[in-house]
Amino acid sequence: VSATGVSLDLARQLRAICGDEHVVETAAGQKASFTVSPTSSDDVASVVRLANQRGFTIAPVGIPRELVASYAQADVLLRTDCLTDVEHYDPADLTVGIGAGMTMARLNAMVGEHRLMLACDPPFPEYTTVGELLAAAQQGPLRHGYGAVRDFCIGIRFVTGDGRKAKGGGRVVKNVAGYDLMKLLIGSYGTLAVITSASFKLFPTPRQTRTFLAEFSTWQEALKFRDLVVHSPLSPMCLEIVSPTARRLMRPEMQDDAWVICLRGAGSDAVLARYRKELGSAVTREVDGANEAELWRALENFPGAGPDLWLSAAIDVPIGEGGKVLQILQGIEDGDGVNLIGRAAVGHLILALPNSPTASSYVEKIIESLVNANVRDCSVSVHGPGKLCRMTPTDSAGMRAVKRALDPNNVLRGREL
Amino acid sequence: MGSQRNPALADHLRAIAGRDYVLDRPEDLMLYEYDGGVRTSTPDAVVFPQNTEQVSRIVKFAAKEHIPVVPRGAGTGLSGGAIPVEGGILVAFSRMNRILEVDADNLRAVVQPGVVNQTLSDSVAHLGLYFAPDPSSQKACTIGGNVAENSGGPHTLMYGVTVNHVTGLEVVLPDGEIVHYGGKAAESAGYDLTGFFVGSEGTLGVVTAATVKLLRRPERIATLLGIFETVDDAAKTVSAITAAGITPAALEMLDGWTLQTIEAFCHAGYPLDAGAVLLIELDGLAELVEEQAEVTRQVCFDQRARDVRRAKDDNERALLWKGRKNAFGALGRVSSSFYTQDGVVPRTQIPAVLQFIDGISKKHGLRIGNIFHAGDGNLHPLILFDARVPGQLQNVEQAGREILQYCIDVGGSITGEHGVGVEKRDLMPLLFSNDDLDVMLSLRNAFNPDSVLNPAKIFPTSRTCVETRGPALNPVLVQEGM
Repeated sequence: VSATGVSLDLARQLRAICGDEHVVETAAGQKASFTVSPTSSDDVASVVRLANQRGFTIAPVGIPRELVASYAQADVLLRTDCLTDVEHYDPADLTVGIGAGMTMARLNAMVGEHRLMLACDPPFPEYTTVGELLAAAQQGPLRHGYGAVRDFCIGIRFVTGDGRKAKGGGRVVKNVAGYDLMKLLIGSYGTLAVITSASFKLFPTPRQTRTFLAEFSTWQEALKFRDLVVHSPLSPMCLEIVSPTARRLMRPEMQDDAWVICLRGAGSDAVLARYRKELGSAVTREVDGANEAELWRALENFPGAGPDLWLSAAIDVPIGEGGKVLQILQGIEDGDGVNLIGRAAVGHLILALPNSPTASSYVEKIIESLVNANVRDCSVSVHGPGKLCRMTPTDSAGMRAVKRALDPNNVLRGREL
Repeated sequence: MGSQRNPALADHLRAIAGRDYVLDRPEDLMLYEYDGGVRTSTPDAVVFPQNTEQVSRIVKFAAKEHIPVVPRGAGTGLSGGAIPVEGGILVAFSRMNRILEVDADNLRAVVQPGVVNQTLSDSVAHLGLYFAPDPSSQKACTIGGNVAENSGGPHTLMYGVTVNHVTGLEVVLPDGEIVHYGGKAAESAGYDLTGFFVGSEGTLGVVTAATVKLLRRPERIATLLGIFETVDDAAKTVSAITAAGITPAALEMLDGWTLQTIEAFCHAGYPLDAGAVLLIELDGLAELVEEQAEVTRQVCFDQRARDVRRAKDDNERALLWKGRKNAFGALGRVSSSFYTQDGVVPRTQIPAVLQFIDGISKKHGLRIGNIFHAGDGNLHPLILFDARVPGQLQNVEQAGREILQYCIDVGGSITGEHGVGVEKRDLMPLLFSNDDLDVMLSLRNAFNPDSVLNPAKIFPTSRTCVETRGPALNPVLVQEGM
């Protein structure tokens, strides 16, 4: 049978499962031959089972973008953006269960009508789906005050790499029945299962917020200010450090060399007055209203110009190691200054990398320097094609055992880990 | 299983842990046949390792001989998680009770599994820090047990359960290998095996150290006692508080009968004539807490509270919590036995589920007290009974099963913080499909294929018998004395 014959036969089988309009042959030059968009978890399971029978590989994606498509080294792209059902939503319960294909923007618009929010602000919420949020453990500035998505995903439904439809958790906010499969799938980059829906805790949207900007001539001074906040009674929603280069990238009109701490507080006038008092004279500017929303949107979307121009690398470290990492990054940057923002009091730094052939060697250099400097419990992951390096001691044999248990035929190729 | 002494087993364990750190006399083993639940089963030996290396050697030996290994903290668990259902070696962690490191800069502590929950918070209090998960048994329960069961407590409403506070683990796998997952960073690339192992009830590996988060103590705490004429009014207030945009640190509910029982025991200052009370705690920035306290007061009155009191000082606050946290002890004075449930419902279902429980109480002729984490819908109906009366335990278990079935029917779960253990393993098919359980079992088998570690837990009996090789004491070992 010719390659074309095999391809036609596969197309026929995929169309029989998903329907003609939900199977698209991919343009020449791409690794994947087909893109399928199942409309139910049953169809997802059928596609995955077919992959196990026929021996083709699958990359689960939300809404495919150029970057995602380029690193999905699989025969079939499986889009989950048709899975958008609302499984449950009662505003008084402060929980919601939705299909993995719903975008974050649409979800937050829906719950926002009741002054609620999913307290997670990943980049580009207009086309970041719930499934992508979970699979890539995405986060944004709200990570500082509300925690990571692992902290408020309370249930998950999925199809394993061998085609079993299963779930973990449920729809209540406290639940220890069975293994915590949410933790296992969050951040697994689609290598263990295709996430088809999930349930979350919701939070009340603050009635009033204010952003306090403090500028410093060095990163050391900025981190001292961070420490002051951490040791204060304040509980800000967000606390970001922004390097001068990153600031210029986001706001080209800002040409000074200041490191900035952006702190977002929520509460009444009295609460915000207390923020003002605690933060003192370091605060050079306050922002609210549309300007505040614009500022945080820019920080959420950092590096912002899209994958054509920029890649990003996330560096996770214990809070106290942040200074050491900044020192290292300063030492190896190429003259333009370190281009980063980060959750300074969480230990999550995001480094913008020009999308060029030198990006890979730059990351290699960073990793090598971090290893040489013995930065403890650190991991680096490039959001895009490339390296994922972990210097935490997590046992890789355990990861492989989990992979074998859920995807014994190595069908799911969301991303190499 | 535990009925016959096996000197050879004890000798082998003594060679690892030391002469004085193994128990095998029946009168000693009896002390380890129970936890805080209602089931009992006697181990063949109890060993008290001093360090991770000894745990590794014990587990390696047990795996080689197919002897079950059951880890045990303080034995305060309520689901039979530390009960050696199939006998074998009980690994008690009372000697591994050191706080290995307090890293205030990174807001982390590294602790051995035998560290008592309250001891950790006490040890870092001078730094203005504490460990947030606060099970009612926190004066006795251990961090290892908290990690195994993913324990909660009243303040998990705002701060989350144990898994939200663990960033790293040292684990001994069934073959004796010592592995490390995660570390001090809040997040790490790769599969979150730390999060996956927390709450796995000792069925994947034996935790020998945990890296946990330390939180800053809040600037102000307001503890309110909302007093209601009826359970229904109190129950409806729970949703009304969260609808007002307030997430209390804790939101507990006690019904009238339970209040009277507790008050007689520890004089916490609870009203004796109330239908129910809500114990509400708000914490954080002083200005924020004061505003929230006022809004909460108003919400309570809007929902027909008779009165709302506020603890005047730390002593009064401690007294109110003493009543709540000693409730189980208080009930022990009026009933020889009680069975604690741990179902969860969406919080809007609280009024309905309390009515249902009242119906179950009447139907089965059983006294049921209600004391629970109302804010997150985690119920703890306490079913009183006399275990000496034939058939009563079965009656109680049936009543409990009906309550949990109701919880599931309204979208809830069979356990919010106590774990499945042996107590609820056969209820798992009510909540999970065959495929759900298959997936969990395949993961269990990926780490613990012979079910040497804590066998007969979590998974329904039928499933573990049919689909995995159940471990049993090696007959050769018993007969020939090794």
